[in-house]
Amino acid sequence: MSAFVPFVALVLTVFVLAFKAWPAITVNGVHFLVGSSWKPGNVYGAVSTTGGVAHPFGSSYGAWPAIAGTLESSAIAIVIAVPVSIGAAFALTERLPRWLAEILRSAIEILAGVPSVLLGLWGALTLGPLLANDVYPIVANHMPDVPFFSFFRGPTGHGEGLLTSGIVLSLMIIPIVASTTRNLFAQVPALPKEGGEALGMTDWEVGRKITIPWVRAGIIGATVLGLGRALGETIAVAMISGSLLNTIAPNIYGTMGTVAATLVTQLDSAFADGTGFEVRTLAELAVVLVIVVLIVNTVARIIVRRTGHLAAPVGGVI
Amino acid sequence: MVVALSAVFAVGLGSSLVAATAASAKAKPKAVSTAVEKPGSATVTETGSTLLYPLWNIWVPAYTQKYPSVSITTNGTGSGTGIADATNGTIDIGSSDAYLPPSTVQATPTLENIPLAISVQVIAYNLPGVTAHLNLSGKMLSSIYQGKITMWNDPAIAAANPNVTLPATPIVALHRSDGSGDTFIFSQYLSDSDKNGWGKTVGYGTSVQWPTTPGGLGENGNGGMVTGCSKTVGCIAYVGISYLSQLLGDGLFYAALQNGKGQYELPTSAAVAAEAKYFLKKTPADGTISLIDGPVKGGYPIINYEYAIVNTQQSNASTAKAMRSLLEWAVNPKFGNSSQYLSQVSFQPLPTKLLTNSLKQIHKIS
Amino acid sequence: MVVGGARVASDGYPSTHRRRIADRVFRAFTLLALLVIVAPVIWVIAGIVARAVPHWRWSVLTTNTVGAGGGLDNAILGSLAIMLGVLIVAGIFGVLGGVYLAELAGFNRNGKQRGAVLRSATEVLAGVPSIALGLVGYLALVVEFHWGFSVLAAVIVLSVIVIPYIARGTEVALRQVPTNYREGAEALGMSTGYSLRKVVVRSAIPGIATSLLIALAISVGETAPMLYTAGWFTGTPKASLFHQPIGYLTYPVWTFWDYPSDQAHYLAFDAALILLVMVLVLLVIARLVVARSQRFAENRRN
Repeated sequence: MSAFVPFVALVLTVFVLAFKAWPAITVNGVHFLVGSSWKPGNVYGAVSTTGGVAHPFGSSYGAWPAIAGTLESSAIAIVIAVPVSIGAAFALTERLPRWLAEILRSAIEILAGVPSVLLGLWGALTLGPLLANDVYPIVANHMPDVPFFSFFRGPTGHGEGLLTSGIVLSLMIIPIVASTTRNLFAQVPALPKEGGEALGMTDWEVGRKITIPWVRAGIIGATVLGLGRALGETIAVAMISGSLLNTIAPNIYGTMGTVAATLVTQLDSAFADGTGFEVRTLAELAVVLVIVVLIVNTVARIIVRRTGHLAAPVGGVI
Repeated sequence: MVVALSAVFAVGLGSSLVAATAASAKAKPKAVSTAVEKPGSATVTETGSTLLYPLWNIWVPAYTQKYPSVSITTNGTGSGTGIADATNGTIDIGSSDAYLPPSTVQATPTLENIPLAISVQVIAYNLPGVTAHLNLSGKMLSSIYQGKITMWNDPAIAAANPNVTLPATPIVALHRSDGSGDTFIFSQYLSDSDKNGWGKTVGYGTSVQWPTTPGGLGENGNGGMVTGCSKTVGCIAYVGISYLSQLLGDGLFYAALQNGKGQYELPTSAAVAAEAKYFLKKTPADGTISLIDGPVKGGYPIINYEYAIVNTQQSNASTAKAMRSLLEWAVNPKFGNSSQYLSQVSFQPLPTKLLTNSLKQIHKIS
Repeated sequence: MVVGGARVASDGYPSTHRRRIADRVFRAFTLLALLVIVAPVIWVIAGIVARAVPHWRWSVLTTNTVGAGGGLDNAILGSLAIMLGVLIVAGIFGVLGGVYLAELAGFNRNGKQRGAVLRSATEVLAGVPSIALGLVGYLALVVEFHWGFSVLAAVIVLSVIVIPYIARGTEVALRQVPTNYREGAEALGMSTGYSLRKVVVRSAIPGIATSLLIALAISVGETAPMLYTAGWFTGTPKASLFHQPIGYLTYPVWTFWDYPSDQAHYLAFDAALILLVMVLVLLVIARLVVARSQRFAENRRN
C-alpha cells in the first residue's frame, strides 16, 4: 500500500494544479507562454468576465520573461556545472590521492546538503557584491562588441542578476551531475582503460577517448538531470535574481526573475485578488514549470538508464 | 481622479452606515466604549504590511506585558499578503496600508478594514555627496519608474533642484516584489499626478506591472527596500516612514514631494497633519479612502491609514475576544495610539472621529 | 573503443610534446574542478560562522523570537517537531514503499515487472520542484481544507518531497543485500515475510538509515514550501495539528537577512549557523553509519 503514496501524491498534485489552473489556461491562452507583461490588472476596479471566468479589469498575464529567465539562468548553471562535474568525477575515480579525493567527496556531499536558503544568503551578501565590484566590470570592459559577446557588455549592476543566479545554481546542481557522472565512470570496465595505458596513452587520452565516450549518453543524462533541478530551484534565486516579473535581462548581469521565484514571491498575496484569478494564474505557472521539469527529467532518466542504472537515489547525494 | 473614485466607492458602501448614524444621532448619541476587554488565553497571528510591522513589534511586547495570556505572532509579509490571508482565513489579523479591494469585499462581505493609525511614505535615495532633500514630483517619479528618466542629472530633476549639484549617476529604481500597500499608495500618487501617462498605462494596485528600467530591482518588504537601496548607489525607493531611522542610519536621504498645490513639502508632522485634516471630512465610516495628492496647501502628498484587515466572523470565541482586546488597546489614545509608541515609527494617531468608527468596527468582531 | 580522430604529427603519430601538454592541462583542470567545488563550500561555511559567531548569544537557544529580534527557541523546537513528523510519516511510507518495490513487486505472468508504474511515479515525484508541491499543499490543505497554517500541512508536504528519496534509498539498500542471505533464509524454511523482517531488512538497515538521515537534512533545509504550509509562529510549538502555525529555522534566514536592523541580521545569521550545524551533524551521522556498516561487512567476509 505504501508504494502507492508517491503515485497518489502525484495524481493529487496534478489534479489540484489542473483544477485550479484550468480557468486561467482558458483565459490566458497561448499569450501566457509568449506574452511579456505580467499585469495583475486593477483589483480595485471593475471585474471583467472572459468566457465565464471573472478576472480584474485589465489583467493580462504573460510569463515569457519568467520562462526566459528560468531557461537562461539554468543554461548558465549547466555551462559551469558540467565541465566542473566531469573534472571532479575524474578526480574522484582516477587521479587524486585518497585523502584529497575524500575532501572532494565530502565537499560535494555538503554542497548537496546545504539548504538553498544558505547558498542564497551567501550569494546575496558575499558572492554577488564581490563579483559586481571586482569581476563583472573587468569582464564587461574587455568583451568584444560582436554578437554573443556583446551580451557580456554593458552595465554590471550590483550583484543581483542573471549571472550571479546562474553561478549559485551551478553550485546546487554540481552534486547531482558530479555524483551521477562519478557513478558512470565507476562502471567503465578497467580493461579498456588499462589497455589504453598499456598502449602508452596519457591520462587525458584515456579519459577523452575511452572513459567519456563509454558513458557519453550517461553524462548527457546527468546534465539534463541537473537541468531539472536548476529549473525548479526557488528560494536562492528569489534572493539573488532581482525578483522581477516583467523584465528579461538586457545583458548577462541584468536583473530578472524566474518561474519558481515568481511563484514564491507572488503566491502569498495572490488571494488579495477577490476574483481568484491571480491564484489561478499562478497555478497555471506551476503547471508550466512542472510539465517542463517532468519532460526534462524523463528524458534524463531514459538516457541514464540506457547507459546503466543510477546507483544513488535519484538526484540525491552520493 | 483616484481620490474621487475611491470617494465615490466609499459613499456607495457607506450610505447604509450614514443612515444608521443619522438614526442614532436622533436618539442621543451614545459614546462608544473605549475600554479594553480583558482577554482569556488565546493565540493571535498577524501578518501583512511591512510598514506596520515595526509598530506591531513595539505594540505586542507592551500589550502582552499587560495581558500575558495572549500569545501574538507578528509577520512582515506585505499588505497584499495581509489582505489575502485575512480573506482566506489563514491568519487572524491582516495588516495593510491599502484598503480592501471591492471584489474581495464582495466575495467575503464579513471583512472589515479598520484604521489603526496614520502613516506616511517617503521617497528615499542613495546619492553619495548629495545631502540635501531633493525636490521630486509625481511626474518625475513616473518618468523614472517608466525608464524615461535614467540619470540623476536629468534636466527635469535639475530644474526642480537649482541649488543642488546632481551627479551623473544612473538611477536604479527599486520596487516591491511582494504585494504591497506601499506600492498601492505610491502607484496612486503616480497615477494621480501623471494621469495620462502612468494612470493610463500602469495604474495602481498592491502589485502593478512595473515597466522595465535599467538595473531595476524587486525588493521583498520595506526592509528589503532599505537594505537594497543602501547597497546600491543611485537607487531610488519608496519606503514607509516607520523605516526612517534605519534609512537615515544607512546613509540614505529622502525627498520633498510636490503636493496637489504644486509645492514641494517634506514629510513633517505639520504637513502630514494638514493632509490628514483635509481627508478626514471625506473619510467614510468604514475608513475606505486614499489620502493621496489632495489639493492642500502645505500638505505632504503620500499619506495613508494603516488598516487591520479582519474577518468579523471568527470561528473561535476566545480568539475573537483577544483580537477585540488587542485592537481596542491599539487604537486607544492612552495605550497603543499614544505618542510613546507612535513617535518611534513617526506615525500620527487616529483623529477622534475615526477612533469612534474604528471601535465600532472592532466591536463587530465575534 | 575509438582511438581515431586524434590530431597526428607529420610522422603519423601525435606529437609527444603536444600530448604531454594536453595531459598537464587535463590534470590542472581536474585540480581546478576540485578547487571550484571545495572553495565555495569552505567559503559558505566560513562566511556563516564569521557572521554568526561574533554576536553569538547562548540565550538564542532558550528564548523565543519577539518580532524581528529575540531568540530562536521556537524555531529550533519547531524544526525538530517537523523533522520528527517527517521521520514518522515519510519514514513509514518511504521505507515500506521501498521494501515493496525491491522485494514484493516481482514479475507477473507476462514477464513484465510489477510496480513499474509505481517506481516511475516515485521517480517522477522526486523531480517535481518543491515550490509546486508547496503551492498544492497551500491551495488544497491550508486554504481549501481550512487547516490553516499547520504542522500537519507542513509535515505532509515535506513527506511527499522526501518519500521518493527514502523509497529509492531503501530499494537500493535492499537490492544490495546478497542473494545468498535470502537463499539461506529460504533454505531454513522461513516464510517470505519472516525472512524479510529478520534477515533482509536487517542487513539493509544502514542503507535505509542513511536515506532517512538525508531526508531529514532535506526537510530541515526547505524554505519555499514551508512558507506556505507551516506559516510562522513566535511562540513555543503547540501540540495541535490544525490551525496552529509553527516556527522553523529557514524562516528567520529568508525573512530577516535583509531587514534593516542589527538584531534581525544577528537572528538570521544565528539561524543560518544552527541550520548549518544541524545539516552537517545529519550528514556526519549518515557517513558514520555507512562507514560502520562497511567495516562490519568486511569483517563478515573475512
